[in-house]
Amino acid sequence: MLKIKNLKADIDSKSILNNFNLEIKPGEVHAIMGPNGSGKSTLSNILSGKKGYKVSGEVLFENKNLFELETEERAHKGIFLAFQYPLEIPGVNTNIFLKTSLNAIRKANGEKELDAIEFLKLVKLKAKNLKFDEEKLNRQLNVGFSGGEKKKNEILQMSILNPKLSILDETDSGLDIDALKTVAAGVNSLRKNDNSFLIITHYQRLLDYIKPDYVHVLMNGKIIKSGGPELALELENKGYENFN
Amino acid sequence: MEEQLKIDFEKLLEKSNFSKKNVEIKRKNFNNFIEKGFPNKREENWKFSDLNQIISKNIKNLSFYNDLSKPNKIDQSTFIAGLEHNKLIFVNGRIEKIEFDYEEKNNIEILDDLVLEKPNNANNSLLFLNNAFVSKFFKLIVKKNYSLKKPLVIYNITNKDLVSKSINLKFDILLEENSSLKLIEFSNDKSTTNFININYNFDVQKNSILKNYKIDNNSNSNIKYYFNNISQDTNSVSEIFLLSSGSEFIKNEINCNLNGKYSSAFVNGVFLLNGSKHHEIKTNINHLVENTKSYQLIKSVLEDESKAVYQGKIFVDSKAQKTDGYQLSKAILLNDNTEFNAKPELEIYADDVKCSHGSSSGSLNEDSIFYLMSRGLNYKEAKKLLINGFLLDVVEKITDSEIKNLIKNIMSLKQ
Repeated sequence: MLKIKNLKADIDSKSILNNFNLEIKPGEVHAIMGPNGSGKSTLSNILSGKKGYKVSGEVLFENKNLFELETEERAHKGIFLAFQYPLEIPGVNTNIFLKTSLNAIRKANGEKELDAIEFLKLVKLKAKNLKFDEEKLNRQLNVGFSGGEKKKNEILQMSILNPKLSILDETDSGLDIDALKTVAAGVNSLRKNDNSFLIITHYQRLLDYIKPDYVHVLMNGKIIKSGGPELALELENKGYENFN
Repeated sequence: MEEQLKIDFEKLLEKSNFSKKNVEIKRKNFNNFIEKGFPNKREENWKFSDLNQIISKNIKNLSFYNDLSKPNKIDQSTFIAGLEHNKLIFVNGRIEKIEFDYEEKNNIEILDDLVLEKPNNANNSLLFLNNAFVSKFFKLIVKKNYSLKKPLVIYNITNKDLVSKSINLKFDILLEENSSLKLIEFSNDKSTTNFININYNFDVQKNSILKNYKIDNNSNSNIKYYFNNISQDTNSVSEIFLLSSGSEFIKNEINCNLNGKYSSAFVNGVFLLNGSKHHEIKTNINHLVENTKSYQLIKSVLEDESKAVYQGKIFVDSKAQKTDGYQLSKAILLNDNTEFNAKPELEIYADDVKCSHGSSSGSLNEDSIFYLMSRGLNYKEAKKLLINGFLLDVVEKITDSEIKNLIKNIMSLKQ
């Protein structure tokens, strides 16, 4: 599904990622762990098309060159980024935003757009599954939401848009244990044979609830070790500093 | 221009039937205007908008006499649809229709032959001009304990017959005790390069409510100046909303005197400008007694080479303890060539007051755009949604829900 070969990324002539390689197949869950400044967020930004990076190498998503696609086209093709810091958008109603987003993606894929009633039915169901306070959906997007609510809102969007590849950028940070469990349950319920996850995190904690197939350790812009879930535990015990 | 002014002024006096007293006052005003001329940037109040320059740049051969003897056709397509309302219709500066179908006739009164008084703001040359050339001076009285059942729309319609004229209109609006009025001023201009000078004087008495919505939304090349003077007595409320968008130049000046305890004034506005448009809002909110409140919120979205100015002043008299004054302006500049000038002023002589002001301007937040695009919206859609959200919050301040929806429709804002 996703093939990254020799990815190099600079920002303001500072090298962030270098010789980065990764392959994710349909149905797989990959976790990338790394210390602050190792390039984790840069990776998620580049995959979803944020401007401002100088990139080289190759990134293929379903055999299409990702660098040729605009941010919204990547979303249309099924890439979703759950933001580390979801933005507050004053004046934009959450429900309207969700509907606009879903219909933009459906339209791009030649599917019928949902009308207000169909949409509300869908969003109600998804919100209920995530224990997301429905009343919040009538508020301005993320405005006045707690940290946990913002993260839940990201997962709600993910469950409504039903992407092929979901990138979770430190979704666990700022979540209390109950919220973490709910979010993890939400992610697990979306796991299917044909969709994949890339989970970016500092801590092993989230991986107690979302079992990854592979764990990668990212340091100084490249993956220095890959393995199964046990790698996360090893990392947790040793710490990043003593890991090499 | 002075020669033209003199010829046109004499012609006006000759063709009209002003009383001797009125002529005398008009002459005084005329001479005052001749002495001062159009305001320019050397005056503090006009430093961001040099009207003298703007007029000479935009209007060729401005003339001041306007023949009002023949009626004009009213273009009904300019009427606001879907809103039951009373009408005062002006076409090219001439009153064409007065219609208060929804009201109890004994509770409102309209006078159109008022004698002028000296303008109180002696420094404002445009009031001199207005007083000198205005042909009918209207007064609307809303009687004690009466609330108009439907909004009143004052239509200022100009058609293509009107070119390079100076139009002067003057209204006094008196809300007697316990009364209320929703007034929409609605401009529709198909004329070119005129100077339109409109003077409102509102007297809002005890416990009365004035809601005033000023809508200028269709693109035109006219230059406009509005002077709004509001006096408020105890427990009265004034709410002004400005949609400042269509004309080439507009300056809306609002002078509000909170003379009675527990009176409050709200001024909210939107500048939506493109091309070379240049608009200004200048407010003076004067807190003159204890326990009064004012609130101002101005939002701008500027494109191309447009320019917006907001000069907001809050004055608090030494007697005006417990004043609550607030003003904020925010601007989105969509282009490097746009300009937003904000000059907040607080002048406070009392010690137990709560006053704040703020102003910000900048381009659209790229991170917000990225967030929306990562959810499948293209750049244009993301930008539109953000601007919609930015503007919605000021339009939401409108307390009349029917008129709020009307203005949302006019601005094509989505909930």
